[in-house]
Amino acid sequence: MHGKTTTQLALYGAFCLAILLAPLVVDNAFLLNKYARYLVLAIVAISLSLSWGYAGILNLGQAATFGIGSYCMAMALKLKTIPVHTGPDGLPDFMVWNNVTELPWIWQPFHSLPFAVFAGIALPSLFAGLIGWFIFGGRITGVYAAIITLAVMVVLNLVIVDQQAYTGGFNGITDLAQFEVGEVAFDAYSASTYYLVAICLALTLFLALVITKSKVGLVLQAIRDQEERVRFFGYDVARYKTFVFMVSAGIAGIAGMLYTIVMEFASPTFLSVPLSLSIVIWVAVGGRQSLLGAAIGALIVTGIQGALSESEAFLDTWTLIMGGLFVIVVLVMPKGLAGAGEILARRIFSSQRSSSDRAEVGSAVERLS
Amino acid sequence: MDLIVSQILTGLSIASILMLIALGLAIIYGVTGVINLAHGEVVMLGAYCAWVLQTQFGLSLLVSLVPIFALLFVFGWIIEAVIIRHLYDRPLDTILATWGIGVMAQQAVRLLAGGELRYVEMPPSLSSSITIFGATESSYRLFVLVVAVGLFALTWYIYRKTSFGLKLRAITQNRSVASSFGVNSARIYRQTFAFGAGVAGLAGALVSPLKSVSPEMGTSYVVDAFMVVVLGGVQSLFGTMASSAILGELSGLLAFFSNDTIAKALVLLLIVVLIRFRPQGLFVTRVRS
Repeated sequence: MHGKTTTQLALYGAFCLAILLAPLVVDNAFLLNKYARYLVLAIVAISLSLSWGYAGILNLGQAATFGIGSYCMAMALKLKTIPVHTGPDGLPDFMVWNNVTELPWIWQPFHSLPFAVFAGIALPSLFAGLIGWFIFGGRITGVYAAIITLAVMVVLNLVIVDQQAYTGGFNGITDLAQFEVGEVAFDAYSASTYYLVAICLALTLFLALVITKSKVGLVLQAIRDQEERVRFFGYDVARYKTFVFMVSAGIAGIAGMLYTIVMEFASPTFLSVPLSLSIVIWVAVGGRQSLLGAAIGALIVTGIQGALSESEAFLDTWTLIMGGLFVIVVLVMPKGLAGAGEILARRIFSSQRSSSDRAEVGSAVERLS
Repeated sequence: MDLIVSQILTGLSIASILMLIALGLAIIYGVTGVINLAHGEVVMLGAYCAWVLQTQFGLSLLVSLVPIFALLFVFGWIIEAVIIRHLYDRPLDTILATWGIGVMAQQAVRLLAGGELRYVEMPPSLSSSITIFGATESSYRLFVLVVAVGLFALTWYIYRKTSFGLKLRAITQNRSVASSFGVNSARIYRQTFAFGAGVAGLAGALVSPLKSVSPEMGTSYVVDAFMVVVLGGVQSLFGTMASSAILGELSGLLAFFSNDTIAKALVLLLIVVLIRFRPQGLFVTRVRS
């Protein structure tokens, strides 16, 4: 067990080092922006892996919390734009077009950037806390929990599109100022933004790892495998599940804020069904029971997606290929790339392992076939 | 009076479309436990079949219903044989795999037929409207209502009165016991999946003259269909009918007082609350564990 943790730490460290050193090789602003975008999506994948892979909660509405974070940041950056973009009295342009005469109260606190950053984490967590309390308090699990998360996200999306005067409606919030901390401005097309994203990714990766290794993390994994038994042991299952749901939402909120900084807008598509299901895909491809696997899954899938959609020949067929690849992954690699990698590694080193380990390999292989 | 009747008719029209779309899903989910996220895409394929048969072969919508059912039946058969049958013991993974299938179907249609909106013409014999108690209603919408009820009756008959239905119910209650009594559960599952896909295809074809046809049309249908099935109770055909009636009337009513978007949001919220307190659905007293 100890050896396994060391290997894991080494792998996680190497991954973080690799993404932090990438700008030394890449000095193209456009590419840096693209890679920063992929890294943000990797953060969302980590957040879903935490709740799905480690606690067994399939959240089909993960994009909802991602979107809330994104809108928090966009609101603050919108209020920071120079008056050219924001109409009279610092009112955002789309409000002027919708005949709103004064800044709605819900927008007022977003004049403060620190508040926005706080809200970008706290609001998604609060949102998830409410849903978690609602679902898990009623002992709703599996498919029904998944459908509730999906439905709640659709409702949020409908409301945001409908309330055009306050949210920018279908167009979202565009023409934003740059994110600034002290003297440092984070231009979306610069190494500084890339580093900001990469550091956040590294921090969330290790935060999530610490949680999974803690006692809470172990209880959560036990809940995933045998919920009833854990309940009989006297643990408050609903509280543990709500906790991980909230942490996962907070991380997704951070990713959402970073996404706004990288993309320079917020849009209702950030909390849509297609994006939400894509997150599930990334995590499934990478391996839901590995945080690093989920992150790498997101990088690989979005990377291939980006590369294929840019090339002339694959522009129209990439979605077809992705769909096919995905079905194959689900059929033959239920534990994703991370699971396949683990089995491969164990086979190579199996001569040094005890027979009990080999039995485990056997069962894992059996699950593959 | 006119207003009330026309309001009820609007609701019934929404309900009949909901039921057509949910029926296929209810059959598949209720019997096999597969969460078919590609269901909306099957509906979409049905609509495109109607469009192709009408524009390329000059077939009227009513005539093309039979080949459309056959085509989608075969489609469902193949999907089950190639992919779904490997996933019966992993229900959550069926969500993922069927989503992949849906993405592929959507993109394939976009490549073959183009991404723009398509329109299917109503059968000329049904393009007039009828006055009922002072309220006018398009006769095509009434026709859809009749077909929806007819398909429901047919499904109920198969489920309750045929030997196929008997085997089906036996498998639903206990697959291993049914198998040991000689019921070929793999075959029944495949036929069920194919039948569900065929019904979904019919739904798509029937809906196509009322809404525009596009590769993305399935996405919203699948969410609606799930809500109907979950609300009605997974293994209750009557539950599916009742819940589509309730949701249809409710959507119509709420849309009358506010707008379509808010109506939809409120209906979804209501369903969320209902799932929370009655996950087994409104019309089911006992469920398979």
